[in-house]
Formats: sequence, structure tokens, C-alpha cells
Amino acid sequence: MANSNLPRRIIKETQRLLSEPAPGISASPSEDNMRYFNVMILGPTQSPYEGGVFKLELFLPEEYPMAAPKVRFLTKIYHPNIDKLGRICLDILKDKWSPALQIRTVLLSIQALLSAPNPDDPLSENIAKHWKSNEAEAVETAKEWTRLYASGA
Amino acid sequence: MDSEDDMHDANDAESLDDDFYSGETAMDSDDGDAADYEFIDNDSDDSDDLLSRRSQQNYTILNESDIHLRQEDDIMKIASILSISNVAAAILLRHYNWSVSKVNDEWFADEEKVRRVVGLLEDPRALPNVKELTCGICFEVYSSDSMRSAACGHPFCVTCWQGYISTSINDGPGCLMLRCPDPSCSAAVGQDMIVSMASHEDTEKYQRYFLRSFVEDNRKTKWCPAPGCDYAVDFIVGGGTFDVTCGCSYSFCWNCTEEAHRPVDCDTVSKWIMKNSAESENMNWILANSKPCPKCKRPIEKNQGCMHITCTPPCKFEFCWLCLGAWSDHGERTGGFYACNRYEAAKQEGVYDDTEKRREMAKNSLERYTHYYERWATNQSSRQKALADLQQMQSIHLEKLSDRQGQPESQLKFITEAWLQIVECRRVLKWTYAYGYYLPEREHGKRQFFEYLQGEAESGLERLHQCAEKELQTYLTGGPSKDFNEFRMKLAGLTSVTRNYFENLVRALENGLSDVDGHGGSSRTGGTRSLGAGSSKSRGSRSKGAARSSRATDDSAHWSCEYCTFANAKSATVCQMCQQRR
Repeated sequence: MANSNLPRRIIKETQRLLSEPAPGISASPSEDNMRYFNVMILGPTQSPYEGGVFKLELFLPEEYPMAAPKVRFLTKIYHPNIDKLGRICLDILKDKWSPALQIRTVLLSIQALLSAPNPDDPLSENIAKHWKSNEAEAVETAKEWTRLYASGA
Repeated sequence: MDSEDDMHDANDAESLDDDFYSGETAMDSDDGDAADYEFIDNDSDDSDDLLSRRSQQNYTILNESDIHLRQEDDIMKIASILSISNVAAAILLRHYNWSVSKVNDEWFADEEKVRRVVGLLEDPRALPNVKELTCGICFEVYSSDSMRSAACGHPFCVTCWQGYISTSINDGPGCLMLRCPDPSCSAAVGQDMIVSMASHEDTEKYQRYFLRSFVEDNRKTKWCPAPGCDYAVDFIVGGGTFDVTCGCSYSFCWNCTEEAHRPVDCDTVSKWIMKNSAESENMNWILANSKPCPKCKRPIEKNQGCMHITCTPPCKFEFCWLCLGAWSDHGERTGGFYACNRYEAAKQEGVYDDTEKRREMAKNSLERYTHYYERWATNQSSRQKALADLQQMQSIHLEKLSDRQGQPESQLKFITEAWLQIVECRRVLKWTYAYGYYLPEREHGKRQFFEYLQGEAESGLERLHQCAEKELQTYLTGGPSKDFNEFRMKLAGLTSVTRNYFENLVRALENGLSDVDGHGGSSRTGGTRSLGAGSSKSRGSRSKGAARSSRATDDSAHWSCEYCTFANAKSATVCQMCQQRR
């Protein structure tokens, strides 16, 4: 029902996401709700998440694109900017959102966040502390978690 | 561009002089003589006198149109100095918190950097010169005449711009710093563009934020904190007191925006207010006056009856209030039902000492606090009442009194004067109780001096209040009375005596009670405004006060009432307790 009223922009974005997917990212709308996307991001090479397949959910609220999409990790991940509920600390999902951004740009930014964790702006206090006090060990934990939770796609 | 022309018009229409006087008229028309009175306390109100008085003050009251004019004025100033549009000047000023000098400094130090930071492009780009364009938000293709862009030339359709602008305005004052929607671009979106595309309602909101920003982001101005008051106060920092009386007649401290609290400093006030609202006082009370039920731990206050306590359902535990043991253990063995010797025995052994001591201490500190709080609060409500009385006096009673006593209203100013003094004194007195609470017990001399001054001031004020409230009644209800002149003398006299007492008090507290050893402290500057007297007069009364202070400790400073034995301050002619004459 809601799908019949889907703005052209969302339809176009969806088509483009399906026809020319960004490398290492796949996003496909749910069958019963075209505003709900199942997302998979491959762990970037040379990051502790390499080799992992991370599932996310993305939802376009009614106000989209004036309001940011809502995105959350479903796969457990050890990352200073992602909490245990999968919520992501990323400026463009909050105050830096602009309607000229898109699903694609958001997902690319999340992928970049996996390559470059930012423990100075943490969402998960403990992980960030770990990261700052002993980065090598924290990276090991992140690898471990990737192997444990993100290997079987 | 339309709005820019409007700005010019608005400014051309009204000269700066109008600006100045419009503030004055707004004040006069709105609110009563109380505000007037603060500024004009003699009969001459020619504008020269008025002007000089205003310039002595270190603050100015601004109404909405004053704020507008000042804002426009600053924008025009920057626009002409930097040779930029008004819209660009507004963006710059907002960015630098409306400081004209800061904008100037930054701009001439590094124009390029300022432009980059603020989002003002040096050479604006138009829309790409093609017939059809794709909107970067909705991805629809439009002919280029239905597209808009900020100075950067990034095209978006009108509908998307409207959505973007409306979302931003409804998100809050951040809309004043709106940038091009393109994430890689930081071009500022000016007021002209916003106003041309926003709905009527959103435009109003935006203008509101714009005006508010001028007051709230500006270091020199603050809104009057009184509920429903729309005035702002422009304050020149440095020298004198922070006390400010708004056009709405509310007095507040410009520094901390609490109500005016001179002579007590902002820190003490904030501590006191925090204390009054703190849950800790409740906790202290519970601790001092209750014991937890030994079974369910709910606090129980014992306000009457015997030591046999039965907790309320569902607990219903029966216990002894003294030893907190089960009642079932009590009886002949424990020394009878009404004397728990377990408690007495244990008390002798010192078992209860710690908790008892804690309870005792909490009780003492609570009592001490309650003492000061009650007096603080009483003076507060007394002041409110006096304020209401003053207003009623001005709106109804003065006219009536003028009829009854056959006196022109101009001859009745002494009554308004008395009431203004009462209102002000209640305020000062109230805050001295907060001061007293924080004055360390060990500073014996200071405490004594303080309490003496406070007592003198207080009894003076009580006499004045009594006279203005009760004695006036006879003249309000009766016919013309030949005693009226006597009454005038008395009330005016009490007003001036009380003013002196309070000036002593205020000065002593502002000097941190350094007069304790009889030295005259530094003289105050610019502070007599609200209390009203000239400096020569206060100098005289100061020495009087200091001389008295030395006698404060011996009994000659007091006389005890023959009827009730109350020890009255020497200056009192009527017993403060039973109202009998000396």
C-alpha cells in the first residue's frame, strides 16, 4: 500500500543500487516494505573486519530524504563507533545529514568507518578505551569477533 | 533580493533618534510608575535630565523594535564597511556572534579564510546554462527556470528547496546557518533565499530565530528572565553592580539572571537556590525525624502516642520505638511496657551513640537551615504582597486618598516612595538570610555585627511597613484629617531612616563585613541607584552605623519591654513583640 506512494527518488535509488551496486556493498528492499532494506557490507581489506560479511538493516523514514535513513548493524561487531545494539555513531546519520546524500553514500561511509575506527568519538565507551589503551589487542578482538560472528554469510 | 530592499526602507524610515526614544516610550506606556520612578525621582522630566540619567546607567532596556533596529544597524554597518550585501553581512555577523569589531578584525586579517569558513563565495556561480537540469534531491528533471541554487550554482528544484528549508527551520535555530544541500559544498544559504521560498509560518519562525540570535548569541545582551517579558537588556560590563531593572519592573542580576540579590554575591545565591531545591533537605528531615521500620525499612515518623508502634499494612510489624526490637519481646522483663530498659541499658553502653549523634546533627543542621529558610521565604512573600499593595496603591488608593484628604496626588508621592522602599528592603532583607546561612559560625565578630545590622534594618523595616500598611488605612476610610501632615512626616521619616539602615547593611555586606574592627571600607560607586540616597548622606549614616556597632555587644544597645520583656533594638520606639510604646 505504502509502496504505491513511493517517491520517485526512492524508486530510482533502489533501481540504481540493484543495477550498479557499489563494490563490497549490497542493498535490496524487502518485498513487503520498499522502505526497508537488507544490507550486506563486506569487511574492507586491510581492516580487522576483512573476510567478514556484516548484515545491516536500513529504513527510510516518511520524511526521507529530508531526514536521514535509519541504519543499524545486525551482525555483532567489535568497533568503537558501533554499540552492542548495532547503532552507529556517524555524523551524516545525525546532524550532518543532507538530502543530497543517498543510501549509497551512507553505506559507503559506513564501509569507510570500518576501515578507520574513530575511538575519539566513541559510542561504545569500553571498546574505545580498549582501542586507545592497547590498539593491537583491540584489533585482535575485532578480528576474533569477525571470525566468530561474521564469517558464515 | 526583495528583502534586502525592505531592509533599506526600514532603516531609512526611522532615524537613530527614534530608536532611542522608542525604547523609552515603550517602557512608559506599558508598565506603571514603578519603572518610571526608578529613573525619574524628582519632578523634572525634561528630556535633558532624562538623557543624562539614562547615560549614567550601565544598561539599556530594549524592546523588540529596538532590537530590530540595532540588528539592522549593525548589518548595515558591516555591509557598508566590507562592501558586501546585507544578506552576506548578516551571515557574517551571526557567525561571529554579532560582534561588529570581531567581524572587522577577522575579515581584514584574512578575508579568504573568513569567506571559506562562513560559506560566502567570492564569485557566485549561476545555474549551469542548460535547458534541463536534474534535481540533486528528488532526481527529477526540470527546466532550468524552475531550479534554484545558492551562490555555488548547485541546482535543486523549488519543491526540494522548500522541503530542505522547512525541515531546517523546524529543527531549530540551526536554520540561521543553512548551507547548500550538496554535502561537498559549504555555500551559505542567505536570508533572502530562505524568505523567498519558506511558507509564511516558517518565515515568521525564521525571523524569530534571527532576532533571538541577536540577543542570545550576543555577549552584551540578555533577555529579561521574567515570565512573559519580551524586553532584552543591553549591559555594559565593568563597574558597579549587576542589578538591572527591566522595563517590566522586574529586577534581576544581569550576571546570573536570578532575581536581583545585591548585596549577596552570585555564588552564594546559586548555592542557596540549589540548597532550597535539593532533595538533600528532604533526606535530612527524614533522617532527623523518622526511623525506618525494622522489618520493611519504610521511614516512620512518630508524632504522638506511646512507644508501641505498629507499621502500616501490609507490614503491620509491631515494635518498640526506642530499641526497635519486636514488641512481642517486651513486657515485665524489659521494665514494663512503657519504659524500655533495653534501650536505656544499651544507651548506657553506647550502642546507639552513633546513630543518635547523626540524627541529632542532622536535626541541628536542619533546624539551622529552616531558621534561615523560613525568614528568607517570609520576606519573599512579604515582598510580593508589598508589590501588589504598591500597585493597588498606585492604581486605586492614591486617587481615593487624594479625594478624601483634599491633597493633590503630586503631594502623595511620599506614599509611593515608602512602598518602593519597602519592596526594595524586603528584597535585600530576604537575601541577607541566605548570606547569614553561609556566614561561618566561627566568625563571631562578623556574625554579631551582621546580626546587629540585620536586626536594626529589619526592625526599621517592620515599623515602616506597619505604618504604610495600617496607619494609612484611617486616612483612606475617614474624612479629611488634620493629622495627615503628621502622618506624612512620620512615613517620610521612617522611609528615610529605613533607607539608611539598609544602606548600612548593604555596604557592610558588600565590604565582606570588614567594618567589624571599626574601619571604614572603600566607598561604593554607582550602587545607590536602587536604594536612592546621595553619597554624602550615606557617609554620615555609615559612621553612625559603625559607632553603633561597637555598642552592639553590650546591653545598652537594647531596651527590654516592660510588658513582655522582649529585648528591643535601641532605635525602636515601639516594642517589636507586643507593639507597646516604650
